[in-house]
Amino acid sequence: MAMTDRAIEARADALPSAHKQSAPASRPPLQAIAGGMNASPMPAARGMQWATLLASGPVQYLLGAVSIGSVLLFWYLATKYRWDFYIRFSNIPTPGEVWHTMLQVNQSTKFLTNVWMSLRRILEGFFIAAVVGVALGILVGRYRLFRSLTMPAMEVFRPIPAIAWVPMAIMIWPSNEGSIVFITFIGAFFPILLNTIHGVEEIDDVLFRAAASLGTKEKDVMLYVILPGALQHIFTGLAVGMGVAWVSLIAAEMISGQYGIGYFTWESYSLIEYPKIALGMLTIGVLGLLCSKIIHLCCRWSTPWIGAAAGGRK
Amino acid sequence: MSAALGHVNVRDVSISFKSRSGTVQAVKSVSINVQPGEFVSIIGPSGCGKSTLMNAVAGFTRANSGVLTLDGKPITGPGADRGVVFQQYSLFPWMTVRKNVEFGLKMQGVAAAQRETRARTLLGLAGLLSFENHYPSQLSGGMRQRVGIVRALATSPQVLLMDEPFGALDSQTRAVMQEILTNMWQRLRLSVLFITHDIEEAIFLSDRIYVMTARPGRVKAEIQVPLPRPRKPEMMDTPEFSALLRSIKKLIREESLAAMGGELSDGGCEGLSMEIGPQGVANVL
Repeated sequence: MAMTDRAIEARADALPSAHKQSAPASRPPLQAIAGGMNASPMPAARGMQWATLLASGPVQYLLGAVSIGSVLLFWYLATKYRWDFYIRFSNIPTPGEVWHTMLQVNQSTKFLTNVWMSLRRILEGFFIAAVVGVALGILVGRYRLFRSLTMPAMEVFRPIPAIAWVPMAIMIWPSNEGSIVFITFIGAFFPILLNTIHGVEEIDDVLFRAAASLGTKEKDVMLYVILPGALQHIFTGLAVGMGVAWVSLIAAEMISGQYGIGYFTWESYSLIEYPKIALGMLTIGVLGLLCSKIIHLCCRWSTPWIGAAAGGRK
Repeated sequence: MSAALGHVNVRDVSISFKSRSGTVQAVKSVSINVQPGEFVSIIGPSGCGKSTLMNAVAGFTRANSGVLTLDGKPITGPGADRGVVFQQYSLFPWMTVRKNVEFGLKMQGVAAAQRETRARTLLGLAGLLSFENHYPSQLSGGMRQRVGIVRALATSPQVLLMDEPFGALDSQTRAVMQEILTNMWQRLRLSVLFITHDIEEAIFLSDRIYVMTARPGRVKAEIQVPLPRPRKPEMMDTPEFSALLRSIKKLIREESLAAMGGELSDGGCEGLSMEIGPQGVANVL
């Protein structure tokens, strides 16, 4: 609709003013579009049509398919013709081989067990990090004394990457499972903590005064002012934390694991089963994408006030 | 809400702050009172400590000396017996208009059904009922402040403390808000302590006006506003209104000049009126 309306306006402008009213009737808008380039050159109007066209749903899907399709095509060509120019594709499995491997590994439950083990570790480590990170973040953001007592110690641990914890974690935890979940927790914890603290600090001071003047007790300030006030930043922390949790998990599984998708990928390398490496990588990518989408959806669902004003959120 | 409640008494109160450059005396031996059901404004040049004084009555700031009481009970901290309307927008962005208004009642443990009834009644009085399910970000500035007033009224406070509530609004909206406020006050008849730097606003709304001096803030004058109620915008054109405006302008002008250093000699000031403003004075200098 918008496109045809614009076409009418554009046509009408090109005609003498007396004919403006009758222009759409004498020349159907569809024809004006179909006439396209050779009808009359109107670059500005065509630019607007392009913008409308590009924003439409099917076109967006088409562009997405082109984007992913070109990567697949490159992969196919590079591996089929074994391109060798400094970087080498001669040992890389073709898309077809990876596809067959995927069908093959799904004939037993072993692959799914690996996927399930990784997901369980992520969920455990991330969940504990979310609860502890948000709770500590709120306390640190709210109470100066708590901050002075805890933050110096945290600042010492914060720059240590989760992967560097692997040897220590193996020594601390009685089971392999415990150490991997711990490393996942470490990865997710600091982004969640720091973003929560930032979120609490960002809350406008007048809201605390308003709450106090309405007779709000400290417990209710936590629940109704601080938590919702920091929620947007908390979700930023959760999204970043989820990303780092996956990085940490895969590294931990590769080094010390039994089962898990990271273990599967590294084991395939050791056993010279190259298609499985690619399958493992793709699986990690899909799982990571799913997890971040879920967090994004939770964020939208739990912060309906953000972007409530017209044109705020797209 | 009994008519006898809402008596604010501030006696000989001094407040000072520590800053990097030393201690700043914001308010010095101020005594004011608000009788039950009375509308009282405090007016003065910027930086005269009028907001500090209101923060002390609200319980956000402690006085260094002196006594602050509400209905004879000393004020020790913030509480729902004093509703506060802030200059900045202070609605909770994550609550709808109605949830904002209900919040104080929820904190008092009032049942959900009763909360809703009370909130809707008050929103109706302020002409906001059709916006009850909107979020604050979807409202105009004037509407947000109206919701702020309604929220402060929801817990049936004995006194309403308003700190330049219309300061951020454009002049048309401001005029409308003043009329809405005076109408609401006419119906509810609760005590109001109103801080402003707008002289016409103070005269239009108040029964009594305290004029404060430049820092350290002291009470320079106390002025009765004998204009009849209910107040209408047309009253601003009457000679009585103009006379009050002139006399308060004169008082404020002396203080504004004092606040700016007070170096102008009396002769130099004679030709100046307040309309010239600080820039004009600077030009003369």
